[in-house]
Amino acid sequence: MSAGALAGRVALVTGGRGGIGRAVCARLAREGATVYAADLDECGAPDDAPRPLTLDVTDEDSVRAAIDAVSERRLDILVNAAGIEIEKTAEDTSLEEWNRSFAVNVTGTFLASKHALPLMRAAVAARAGAGGGTASIVNFGSYDGFIADPGLAAYCATKGAVHALTRAMACDHGPEGIRVNAVCPGYIDTPMLQSFFNGEGSGGAGRGIGALRQAVRNIHPMRSYGTPEDVAGLVNWLAGDEARYASGQLWVLDGGLTAQVQQMRP
Amino acid sequence: MNAAGQLRGKRALVTGGRQGIGRGIVEAFLAEGAEVLACGRGGRGDLPAACTWHQTDVADAAAVEALAVATGPLDVLVNNAGVQLEKTVADSSDDDWDLVMGVNARGVFNTCRAFIPRMRKPASIINIGSISGRMADPRMALYNASKAFVHGLTRSIAVDHGPDIRCNAICPGWIETGMLEAAFELAADPGRARQDALARHPVRRFGQPADIAAMAVWLASDAAAFATGQMFTVDGGLTAASPLRPGLS
Repeated sequence: MSAGALAGRVALVTGGRGGIGRAVCARLAREGATVYAADLDECGAPDDAPRPLTLDVTDEDSVRAAIDAVSERRLDILVNAAGIEIEKTAEDTSLEEWNRSFAVNVTGTFLASKHALPLMRAAVAARAGAGGGTASIVNFGSYDGFIADPGLAAYCATKGAVHALTRAMACDHGPEGIRVNAVCPGYIDTPMLQSFFNGEGSGGAGRGIGALRQAVRNIHPMRSYGTPEDVAGLVNWLAGDEARYASGQLWVLDGGLTAQVQQMRP
Repeated sequence: MNAAGQLRGKRALVTGGRQGIGRGIVEAFLAEGAEVLACGRGGRGDLPAACTWHQTDVADAAAVEALAVATGPLDVLVNNAGVQLEKTVADSSDDDWDLVMGVNARGVFNTCRAFIPRMRKPASIINIGSISGRMADPRMALYNASKAFVHGLTRSIAVDHGPDIRCNAICPGWIETGMLEAAFELAADPGRARQDALARHPVRRFGQPADIAAMAVWLASDAAAFATGQMFTVDGGLTAASPLRPGLS
């Protein structure tokens, strides 16, 4: 196997077992990176060869332990893909659910980034003699951080927070050679999306999931849902050297969905 | 509470003031005590007698210059005149370009160039942009682009001509005017398209010209003295929502 664009790089992916996180792990590994796939349970598809880590991103000790387990003592790439979605309006959301949403989506992104920084500086330093290079944090925002899906109040709020944290950390850590970006997926075909379509808030109950899936597909200018691999492609680009000047931005990947004024297509 | 009188002592021109949103702004400005002038390509129709009418095509630079000389100094300029054309880029002719860009883009440029040197200080310019200048309405290519031009020009005027002149744009969503009806007529099933569009509005209704006029009154008034260079979206929540709305059929 020839050396990929990310050969010699070390990456850690939180939520590495989830629909999109798993695809990210596979892609980064295929590009030659050493990939730590971190999630609540040990994970890892055999053909992708990521190194499994047990990680609860809401628990600071767990985050410290996961970072300590990176034996290379450097991190070139951190992907904060861990996330949960509570399918409720603000009124129906309990304080516990609200706090849980923020704990995973926002605090988890904060904790993993905070404790990864020393190893990311080490990665920048390690490459200083070889023409230089940057380290890259890729957060998971969402198109829901820009416009609201019905019945996803806490989720929308957490993604807005991730967007703001992305910009803040890009400003603070850019001078150290650390880039921070967020990918903002639209409708990606994952178990999370399926759950959303099955829920009451989506309006699927009244007309059938199949009809709803078809209607939402057709409203996209590209007439399709995204795949986890589509998102992994963008994450791969942001992680690598071709994106050396990209930082502090929110990268929307949604098949053109948010480019249009929403309406039925006659 | 009735705050009538917010524009007392101000002199305002509303382009395209005979109907639709422009008409709503004319009536609101009159109710707030402003001296109101309006212009358009045709006659004044049934505009209130208190409003002075000038028959002027804003796409005609010489005519706009003559209008500026005739009207004298203004405190408020509202660039509302606009046309809408339902076509893709591939379907648009040179004449289509001249019509849409002539009125929506060049018309705003013409009036701003003619009136800016003659406005009282401080002055307020209010451009009617559109949510379609931020996101695309299908098959409205030139219209969408012309409104994006308005947004860009709005920021430039605010930057170049502050502090004497404030310049803002209002981005209406779907307002119940002849233009909205024309858009629905494009659908295979206009009735269903209308129901669908309603369901996408968190406020569950379309806008009225008075909704936009209320924002125009504020931007024209001294209460908005710190507002400049911005696009103010008034769309009943349409562009805050994803395509999924409960109740869509």
